[in-house]
Amino acid sequence: MARLGQTGHAQNGQCCVILTDREIQIAIRRGLIKIHPQPTSDIVFSSTAIDLTLDSNLRIFDPEVVGVEKIIDPSKKGFNSDLTVSEITHAENIRATGYLLKPKILILAWTAEYVTLDIGTRIAARVEGKSSLARLGLGVHVTAPTIHAGFEGQIQLEMINHGSVPIRLRTGMRICQLIFETTLGTPERGYQGQFLDQTAKRKKQKSKAA
Amino acid sequence: MRIKVRKIGKGLHPNEVVVEVQTSDGIERLVVDRRAIEASSLSIGDPLREESGKLLVELPRETMSGAWRVWVKRGTLKTVNAA
Repeated sequence: MARLGQTGHAQNGQCCVILTDREIQIAIRRGLIKIHPQPTSDIVFSSTAIDLTLDSNLRIFDPEVVGVEKIIDPSKKGFNSDLTVSEITHAENIRATGYLLKPKILILAWTAEYVTLDIGTRIAARVEGKSSLARLGLGVHVTAPTIHAGFEGQIQLEMINHGSVPIRLRTGMRICQLIFETTLGTPERGYQGQFLDQTAKRKKQKSKAA
Repeated sequence: MRIKVRKIGKGLHPNEVVVEVQTSDGIERLVVDRRAIEASSLSIGDPLREESGKLLVELPRETMSGAWRVWVKRGTLKTVNAA
């Protein structure tokens, strides 16, 4: 753990590893990973991940209208993915009774937690499903699981029920897990800032010692 | 460093907004959490390269055109004092 957030390249072959529960908690304490609300209980951790919960806001894809053909052309100049999605979905809030996700339906959802990965860290993350939900057929992302250093926000989930039975989604349920990994080296955009930060700290230490 | 952005609309989640970034090649739009915006700017770390007065920066999220890195003019960036 001692080398997390440090600059330069990996040493002693201890690089590019998945953080354990202990390392995640240390990284949270050091501010390298910020999760709000901060986990208050150890039960949200597993050996190598932390569980995140479901926010109440959903975007539901509108059903097809017979005779109306919709085609999305993402590579067209000026394509606006968010506007496109907003035009073919509607907002819905999960009620106290939950939201029933029917088979083969895609929805957009978010984690309740606001996650920040500091730009200068050597930490990236992957959002993954939970096996307890996966075995019901619930997928929580569609091929884009990477959370880069510098990310901050609630994590968007692309959820689909691949099973044959509706699944009831409730606000606050454990919906996905976040797996943190250390990277080989610091990303370019974080390297200089970190150097400057360390330089400033060294100057501070020197002036204290003087 | 921070990059200047302009809010142009709501995102899909109530906490999200769509912002525009002025790049050397035109406007890029991306969705960010509104809490990540301070004084109409987003944190982006340090520029990656400088060429012909333009700076290559990496945005905090993928833009709607699928780009992460864009060339911008120096005036598009704001310096943040080191801690």
